[in-house]
Amino acid sequence: MSTTIAATPEPNQRAKSRQRRELREVTLLVATFVVIFGVGLLRPSFMSFSNLEFMVLSSVVLGLVGISQTFVIMTRGIDLSVSAVLGLSAMVFGLLSTTSNMPVWQALPLCMVMGAVLGCFNGVLVAWAKIPPIIATLGTYSLYGGLTFIYSNGLQVDQVSQDFANFGNANLVPGLPVPTPVIALLIVSILAWFVLNHMKFGRTILAIGNNASAAYNAGISVRRTLLGVYTISGALAAFSGLIFVAYTGSATATTGTGDHVELQSIAVALIGGTAIAGGRGNLAGTVIGSVFLSVVITALVFLQVPAIWYSAGEGAMILIAVTLGARHGAKS
Amino acid sequence: MQDAISRATGLLTATEIDKRFGANRVLRSVSLTLAPGEVHTLMGENGAGKSTLFRILAGIHQPDAGQINLDGTLLELRNPCAAYDQGIYLVPQEPALLKELSVAENMFLGMLPTRGRFPARIDWKTIRTKAQDALSTLGLDVDVRDDAKHLSIAQQQLVECAKALLRGCRIILFDEPTSPLTSREVGILFGNMRRLREQGCTLGFISHRMDEVTEISDRVSVLRDGAVTDEVDRDGFDRARLVRAMVGRELIFDRKRAHRTPKGEPVLSVRGLAHEPVFSGVDFDVRPGEILGFSGLIGAGRTEIAEAVCGLRTKSAGTVTLSGKDITAASIGDIIAAGLVYVPEDRARHGVILPMSIRDNATAGQIGRLQRKSGILNRKREVEIATDTLARYGVRARGIDQPVGQLSGGNQQKVVFGKWMSTNPKIAILDEPTRGVDVGAKDEIYKLIEELSAKGMAIIVISSELEELIALCDRVIAIYGGKIAAELHGTDITAARVGAAFLGAGTH
Repeated sequence: MSTTIAATPEPNQRAKSRQRRELREVTLLVATFVVIFGVGLLRPSFMSFSNLEFMVLSSVVLGLVGISQTFVIMTRGIDLSVSAVLGLSAMVFGLLSTTSNMPVWQALPLCMVMGAVLGCFNGVLVAWAKIPPIIATLGTYSLYGGLTFIYSNGLQVDQVSQDFANFGNANLVPGLPVPTPVIALLIVSILAWFVLNHMKFGRTILAIGNNASAAYNAGISVRRTLLGVYTISGALAAFSGLIFVAYTGSATATTGTGDHVELQSIAVALIGGTAIAGGRGNLAGTVIGSVFLSVVITALVFLQVPAIWYSAGEGAMILIAVTLGARHGAKS
Repeated sequence: MQDAISRATGLLTATEIDKRFGANRVLRSVSLTLAPGEVHTLMGENGAGKSTLFRILAGIHQPDAGQINLDGTLLELRNPCAAYDQGIYLVPQEPALLKELSVAENMFLGMLPTRGRFPARIDWKTIRTKAQDALSTLGLDVDVRDDAKHLSIAQQQLVECAKALLRGCRIILFDEPTSPLTSREVGILFGNMRRLREQGCTLGFISHRMDEVTEISDRVSVLRDGAVTDEVDRDGFDRARLVRAMVGRELIFDRKRAHRTPKGEPVLSVRGLAHEPVFSGVDFDVRPGEILGFSGLIGAGRTEIAEAVCGLRTKSAGTVTLSGKDITAASIGDIIAAGLVYVPEDRARHGVILPMSIRDNATAGQIGRLQRKSGILNRKREVEIATDTLARYGVRARGIDQPVGQLSGGNQQKVVFGKWMSTNPKIAILDEPTRGVDVGAKDEIYKLIEELSAKGMAIIVISSELEELIALCDRVIAIYGGKIAAELHGTDITAARVGAAFLGAGTH
C-alpha cells in the first residue's frame, strides 16, 4: 500500500490507556496499604490478623453487590434496589433457617431465584416500560424494602441455624484460613471477568453502554441484554444477602438499606474505575475498591471517629470518586 | 466476501419512494438506480432528501410508499441488519463507532465469532487477525487492539468501510463522507472507493463539493425538495447544469428586495475573525438598516461565525466592534446589553421554552426589569408586554396563556422574535429564521424583518434558502469552507450566482 493513513498521532496511546487502567488498581492497593499501616502505627490492634480477616470478610458482601452494580453501570444504568433485595433475602432466609430449618443447599438456589425475579422486574421496567433506571430502581428499592418490613412483621434475625453459621464462617479448604464468603467472592469475580471478557453477553453489555442505538443497529437485542443484567444484579444481591446473614447471624428490616449498600456499591464501582456514563468497567477495581472502603470504614472505628460522621464521610467519598472519575473520562 | 460476489451482482433500484417526517414531506416519489461497478452521487441542497434516501436504502428508515429491489428481487428492509443481510451498508455521516471498545471489536459488533460449545468463548485471535487484514486492505495502518476513541474521523470512516466488507456487503453508501476530511484524506478515501468500484461493488456517494463530485462520480442524480430533478452521466457533467438542477426551482415568492445601499457608520465591524480550522479571515461590516445575508452549506461555518461574533463561542483571533465599542472579549450579557442579539436556528433548544406560555416566553428576556422593588414580579406589566407581542408580531394564538409548544412553527418564531426585539437591539443575527415555517407565515416573517430594518435595525440573516436571501437581502456573503468566498450586491443576488458561490464553484 503506497498511501496509508498514519497510525494515531501518539502511537503509544493504547499503552497509555492500559497503563492508566492498571494504575487505578495499583493506586487503590497502595492507598489501602497506606491506610492499614498508617492506622496500624497509631492503633497496633488494627493490623492484627483477626482485624485484617474481619475487614476482608466485611468487604465480601460489598464486593459481590459491587460486581453486579458494575455490570449495571456498564450498560449506562444504575440499580438502587440492590440493598433492598439484599435485606429481603437476608431477612427471609435468616428466618427460614430457624423457623423451618431450611438447609443452606435449599436456601442458596431459592434466594437466587427470588433475587432473579425481583431483578427481572427491574429489567422489565427499564427495558420495556422505558423508565429511566434511576427512577425504576428507586421505586423498587422502596417496594422491596417495604416487603422486608411486611415479611418480618416486627421480627428480626438474632441467630441462624448451625448449618447457616457453618456456611458463613467455615474454612472450606482445610489448613487455609480463608472463609467461605471470600471464596464465594473469588469465584464470582472470576466468573464475572470471564463473562465480561470472553462471552458475547459481556461484550454486548459494553456495546450497549457505549451506544445503545449503534448496538441495536448492529443486530444486538438491547432489551434482552438489559433484562439479563438487571436479573443477574438481583440474583447476586440476594446471594450476598444470604452470605451476610449466614456470616453475621443477624438481620433486621433495615439490613442493606440502613447501611446504604446501594450507594456503597456504586461508590466502589466508581472508585474502581468504572465509568458512570457506561461502556467501560473495571471489575478488579471494584473488588479492590470494596476492600478499600471496608478498610476505611473500619479505620474510622479504630480512630474513634464518632459514628455520626460515617454517613457524611461515605457520601463525600462517593462524590470525590465520581468527580475524579469524570475528570479521568474527560482526559481519555 | 467471496460468498457475496456470487450472491448478488448488486443492481439496487428504488422505485417511487415516498417519505414523510410528521407534516414534512421529505421524499416525493423518488426513483433511483445504483448499478454495480459505478459510483453514483447524490447532490442537492440541505434538506433535499439525500441522506433520507440513503437511510431508507440501508434499512434505517422505512419508506411510506414505493419499493426497493435488488437484482429484481423485492426487499423489505425493516432494520439495518436486514440491509446487511442483503449486502447493503451505509457509512454514516458521523461514524458511530463504540469509543471504549477496540477497533477490532467494533468491526465485529453483533457478529463476534466464538469457539467452543459451552461456554462459547469469543475468538479474539480470529477477530484481531481478520480485522487487521481488512484494514490493511484499505491501507489503514492502526493497531486494531487500540480503543476506537483514538481514531480520527477519516480512520473511523475507513473502519466503517471495513465493517461493510467484513459483513460481505457489496453495496456501500457513503453519506457525505468528505466534509470533515482533509484533502489528503479525501484522496485516500477516493483511492479505496475506486478499488471497490473495480472489484464490482456498487457505491453511493453524497457530496456538496463540485470538484469531488466530478472527480469520482460515474453518474450524478440531483435532488431538490425531495424529488429527482436531473440525472447526468459522467460525460454529461456540467457544473452550470448541476447547479441549475439543484437550485433552479420556481421561486415561490416573486419577491426581490428593492436595491438599496445603506449609509452611515457600520453598527457592527468584524475584522480577521478566526477559529482554526472552523473559520478564518472573516471580515465584514453591517450598517444600520441593512439586511446582510449569510449563505452557505451546513458545516460551512456560518453558524459558528455568528456564534463567535455574539460571544457564544471562543475565537482565536480577530476583533468585533459594536457601534465603535470593542466587544471581542465581552460577556454574553454585556453583548446583549450593548444591542446585539442572536436568534438561534433551533427554536426548541435555544429560543423558546415550549411548555411555557406565550406570556412567560415573551418576557423571559427582561424578567429583571419586571421586578418591583419588593422582588415580586409585576404581573400587570408582564401581561402588557405579552399582549403587545401578540399584536405587534401578529402571533395567532388563543391568548397569552397558551403554551408556545401548541403554536405552529411560524407563530413560535414570531414569539421568539418578540422576545428578542423587546430588548431593543441595534443589530440582530437571525439564524435560519424560517426553518420549519409554512409558506404563508414565511411571508409574514419577511415583512417583520423588513419593518425592523426600515426602523434602522441592522440585520444579518443566515439562510440555506436561496429565495429567502434573494427576497430579503441588500447584500449576501457566501461562506465556503469557513471563509468568505464571495460577496454579492443588489441585482447580483440571483439564485444561480448565490448557489454557485456557496457550492464553492466560484462566482464568475
